[in-house]
Amino acid sequence: MIEFNDITKFFTSGIVRTDVLNGVTFKVNKGEFAAIMAPSGTGKTTLLNVLGCLMKASGGSYLFEGQDIETLNDDQLSEIRNKKIGFVFQTFNLLERTSALDNVLLPLVYSDVYPADAEKKAGRLIESVGLKDRINYKPNELSGGQQQRVAIARALINDPSVILADEPTGNLDSNSAKEIMEIFRILHKEGRTIIIVTHDINVARSSDRIIYLKDGKVEKEEVL
Amino acid sequence: MKIMRIAGVSLSAVAKHKVRTFLIVLAIVVGIATLTVIVALTQGANKKILQQINNFGPDAIMIHSGGGRLRGPSTVSEASLTKKDIADIRDIEEVKLVSPFQVSLDMPVKYKNKFTTSWVFGVESSWQDAWRRGVSKGDFISDADNEQLSKVCVIGRTAAKDLFGDADPIGENILIENVSFNVIGILEKRGQSPVGTDFDNLILIPFTTASRRLMNQPLYIAMARAVVFNPARIKTVIAKIEGILRENHRLAQTEEDDFRMTSPEEITKMIKGTSQTLDVFLWLVGLISPFVSGIVLMNIMLMAVSERKREIGLRRAVGAKKKHIIFQFLSESLVLTFAGGLFGVTAGVIIAVLISLSGKPISITWQPFATAFLFSAVIGLFFGIYPARKAAALDPASALSQK
Repeated sequence: MIEFNDITKFFTSGIVRTDVLNGVTFKVNKGEFAAIMAPSGTGKTTLLNVLGCLMKASGGSYLFEGQDIETLNDDQLSEIRNKKIGFVFQTFNLLERTSALDNVLLPLVYSDVYPADAEKKAGRLIESVGLKDRINYKPNELSGGQQQRVAIARALINDPSVILADEPTGNLDSNSAKEIMEIFRILHKEGRTIIIVTHDINVARSSDRIIYLKDGKVEKEEVL
Repeated sequence: MKIMRIAGVSLSAVAKHKVRTFLIVLAIVVGIATLTVIVALTQGANKKILQQINNFGPDAIMIHSGGGRLRGPSTVSEASLTKKDIADIRDIEEVKLVSPFQVSLDMPVKYKNKFTTSWVFGVESSWQDAWRRGVSKGDFISDADNEQLSKVCVIGRTAAKDLFGDADPIGENILIENVSFNVIGILEKRGQSPVGTDFDNLILIPFTTASRRLMNQPLYIAMARAVVFNPARIKTVIAKIEGILRENHRLAQTEEDDFRMTSPEEITKMIKGTSQTLDVFLWLVGLISPFVSGIVLMNIMLMAVSERKREIGLRRAVGAKKKHIIFQFLSESLVLTFAGGLFGVTAGVIIAVLISLSGKPISITWQPFATAFLFSAVIGLFFGIYPARKAAALDPASALSQK
């Protein structure tokens, strides 16, 4: 369902060209739980941005559910991000001074359809990540682990095709990290497609398959 | 609806960023209040000018005997208008009526032990139609009074108050330059003239009595007021009167007029001339201050955009299109400027009313409100679009990675 074929990405600053991705090729199938293992400085962030349709590749082809992402315009990319991708960030990225419930509802603001039971659904998701009694709490009233759970609930509100997590445990203590990874495993069992980008091998080992990235290329794949 | 949900986002942002909201609204309030006050003041001044022109009469021409002087009646020695002049002017087809009168400025008037000075006019009964002003009590001077050189008078409010206080003057006798006149009526109130003369400090006596008994001017007429049928024709009439008078007075081409005419147009020029420079200045201030408010708005919104880069990146990541971001920030600007406009108009009206307490004329109509709202919308759009576009142009990936 996700197909990266010889994806390249370079940035130019003045006359200096920096090649970050040098022909990345891999596939992630529906229902799979994959980890992309990338040490810092190997193009991890760039790969994630291309994967999340936040930027376009410089070359190669990216098929998302059979759709060629490189042909889409800015508005169409926004729609893909809105409907098909659920982001979970290292720094949670919740809106300040905004309740957990409203944070979870955020993607629906930009949806063409706003389900009548949106708040109920958001409530169920918050409950499912174990924050039933924190539904009206604001981010600064929640712990890091709790904030990341809200972020996961937000990623799920539009029933996306894939959940894309960027170092989801990077800012958490080891207990909270374990809990978050447990949530991902449960979501995987429920049949969701999950891709985690990380430099932490312990996090990567929670997945079904690890894709190792080195120097802007796929070095090897390991099925667990 | 999506648009309502995004507008909701804007409203909650306005509510959450209280300091920013306060600063922007304050800036808009100052600008819009200034504009409102200036509109109220200039409109008030214009209304007063219009009123004064109406007091003068938009369809009237004043003919003064004697040339040269800019305003006011001429001195007796310059007297040049004759009964024939008046009769000839009366024959002009556009002229509805002509009312001649004699004037004596600052005549000493006495009632019992009270003294005052007043303008004394010798008038015919046509004076009432020429000035659209009659008596509020008693009788006006009749044709019979003029034929019989009666020693009767009609007095204005100010003169009546000076001499009689609150007592009823009708039937009493007053002395004008030691000639006794019987008060038969009180004039309707008129207020001030365009040049600040008190139109109520006057005493009217029969034209003939004034000419022969008081002012010793049996042959000449000091002034006359001509009323035309159609105010649009007033320039033509002035030209015709000029022709008649020059011919009657046998003036050679090189000689200057020995009479002078005042039209509503001149009165308007006279009043406006002094206030026009001030008006331009006021309007400049009035238009510049909302502009400055707009710059403040733009500045603060630009700061907000830069502070909220991560938020913008997040919104883009979860599916906001560029136009949604533009709409969000633009509606924030608009909400703030409308709030500023509303409070600004209110503050402006209050200030205008306070200023009016000092005697300055103001006019509060729907226009300042409309102008202010229009202006706040224009400010919101004009100064809000740049920050909004800047927000939308942010690259979502790099906006997200902002610390």
